[in-house]
Amino acid sequence: MKTQRRGWMGMLGYHALMLAISAIFLLPFYWMAISAFKTNAEIFSNPVTWFPDPIRWDNVTALLARDDFPVVRQFFNSVFYAGTVAVLVVLSCSLAAYAFGCLRWRGRDLVFGLTVCALLMPTIVTFLPIYIAWSRLGLTGTYWPLITPFLFGDAFFIFMLRQFFMGVPRELMDAARLDGASEFRIWWQIVLPQVRTALVIVGLFALVYTWNEFFLPLVYLREREDLPLSVGLFTFQSQRAAEWAASMMGALLTALPMVLLFLFTQRLFQRGLSTTGLK
Amino acid sequence: MGAVRLSGVRKLYGAVEVIKGVDLTVEAGELVVFVGPSGCGKSTLLRMIAGLEDVDYGRVEIAGRDVTEAPPARRGVAMVFQNYALYPHMTAFDNLAYGLRRAGVPRDEVTRSVRETAAMLQITELLARKPGAMSGGQRQRVAIGRAIIRKPEVFLFDEPLSNLDAALRVEMRSQIARLHHDLQATMIFVTHDQVEAMTLADRIVVLNAGRVEQIGTPREVYHAPANLFVAGFIGSPAMNLLPATLGPAGVTLPSGIVLGGRRGAGEPVTLGLRPDRLLLAEENETQLTGLATLVEHLGDESILHLVAGDGQKLTVKLRGDAPVRIGETVGLRLDLGGACLFGADGRALPQG
Repeated sequence: MKTQRRGWMGMLGYHALMLAISAIFLLPFYWMAISAFKTNAEIFSNPVTWFPDPIRWDNVTALLARDDFPVVRQFFNSVFYAGTVAVLVVLSCSLAAYAFGCLRWRGRDLVFGLTVCALLMPTIVTFLPIYIAWSRLGLTGTYWPLITPFLFGDAFFIFMLRQFFMGVPRELMDAARLDGASEFRIWWQIVLPQVRTALVIVGLFALVYTWNEFFLPLVYLREREDLPLSVGLFTFQSQRAAEWAASMMGALLTALPMVLLFLFTQRLFQRGLSTTGLK
Repeated sequence: MGAVRLSGVRKLYGAVEVIKGVDLTVEAGELVVFVGPSGCGKSTLLRMIAGLEDVDYGRVEIAGRDVTEAPPARRGVAMVFQNYALYPHMTAFDNLAYGLRRAGVPRDEVTRSVRETAAMLQITELLARKPGAMSGGQRQRVAIGRAIIRKPEVFLFDEPLSNLDAALRVEMRSQIARLHHDLQATMIFVTHDQVEAMTLADRIVVLNAGRVEQIGTPREVYHAPANLFVAGFIGSPAMNLLPATLGPAGVTLPSGIVLGGRRGAGEPVTLGLRPDRLLLAEENETQLTGLATLVEHLGDESILHLVAGDGQKLTVKLRGDAPVRIGETVGLRLDLGGACLFGADGRALPQG
């Protein structure tokens, strides 16, 4: 009886602690969400109001109608940017991961080691020479510098996919070789179908990272109509610092697609994190 | 059907030589079994024939053609793997058809070949299923079908039965034997199961640490092992290997008992006797005694595990239920018919 009761108390304490920690993490998000449906005056009212009264739905239409923050246009820019990068990452990184995880060649481990070393290199270190190169090509102000690098893979995703690829039985590839399939065909027709879940996971990770990417679009893009939401929101906030309700609505619209995506694909994210040893 | 000829074939992984110069000819239509302990290189050698491993030195010929540098698909070989290696996302039909499609065979001919092969292996009702929805035996039949359909010069089997349960293994073994008979195909079969080796093979190749220890028919390998390794490896339970000398009166045990047979000038030898050549002896004809440590009753036969006075372990195979209990001292008589003698270098001495 006594141990059962202690177990029950323990569970209660554990859940109370977890709820408290969750509340700390959720509070800013909640604050953003309710502020999006308040007026500026309500946001700063004292005492604090924990729920908007009334809910100002017209904040949504007001934001969508603004000329200085083309939310819809920037939303589609973000979809294009993040979507293209996700597709390219899946294709290029899975090719590289196939070479590192499924093929045997001289110097493979060395090249893989160097690739992983690229993970240690902060973007800011290589940024300037790369920026100058794109500038000489006259392609700054476009999405080319943001998207093209992903044609050549990404160290983190290559590492992540290689783990999955190493789990594909070698005999499947041997059987395909005996059947006369080329290495490219084996990658495409035999190996990729075995790691479909991993590809979806990597695609989702790439999508979220790119959706939230800030620095590179900020430095490469110039026109407001070209910006993705992450930079568009920042530009709007820095120019209209006093319009908190509009800023919060913008932030909500920027965050919402990824939150929804996460809710629907939570299990895949957890699997991805446990595979890479991040969790 | 083509012959396979290996000449001076060697394989190195870094500084480690895993195949140390193999010369071997598998004649057209022959079924040869590679057998040996784990890590002896039998699967590596098979993969080298298939073209899945590079040949570092030497030459591989199939049907008279040098294929040492040829890619797997151009060697005229088909392989059946231990874990079946069926493409999990494809139906049995697509698994069978994949190789033909890669070879550019017209669509209706592919369909006809798949149907014919499926009928031959009685897997027609499986054609629409994916491997995940099949039993182990069914998967193995589809895997064999995938090999047959390409009409290869040589079939390669890499421990194809080891994932099956005992009953199914016997069934598949007889199916492979039948297939060999029907197709008259050249087949190379890798196994560590001696029963498979003995029952299937026209000839057995015994491998150890990357070297060929003996090539011969199952009877030759069993009755006339070329050296101590083969003697100890082939046969279950293993051959008894007793230290002895060749004296002027014949083979002499350390205890001084003269067994007769081949004479010599006192050189040390090892006497090899199969467990069925050690017989229970009457008191006056006992040549060797041992303490029973384990008695296995298998129904039609019994296996006795004994330890002789000098610590030598002995295995005896008797017909029926042996009237021996653990802890009992057993007197034995040695039947030298079929005995093997090995010199100090471990090689068999010429018989007779």
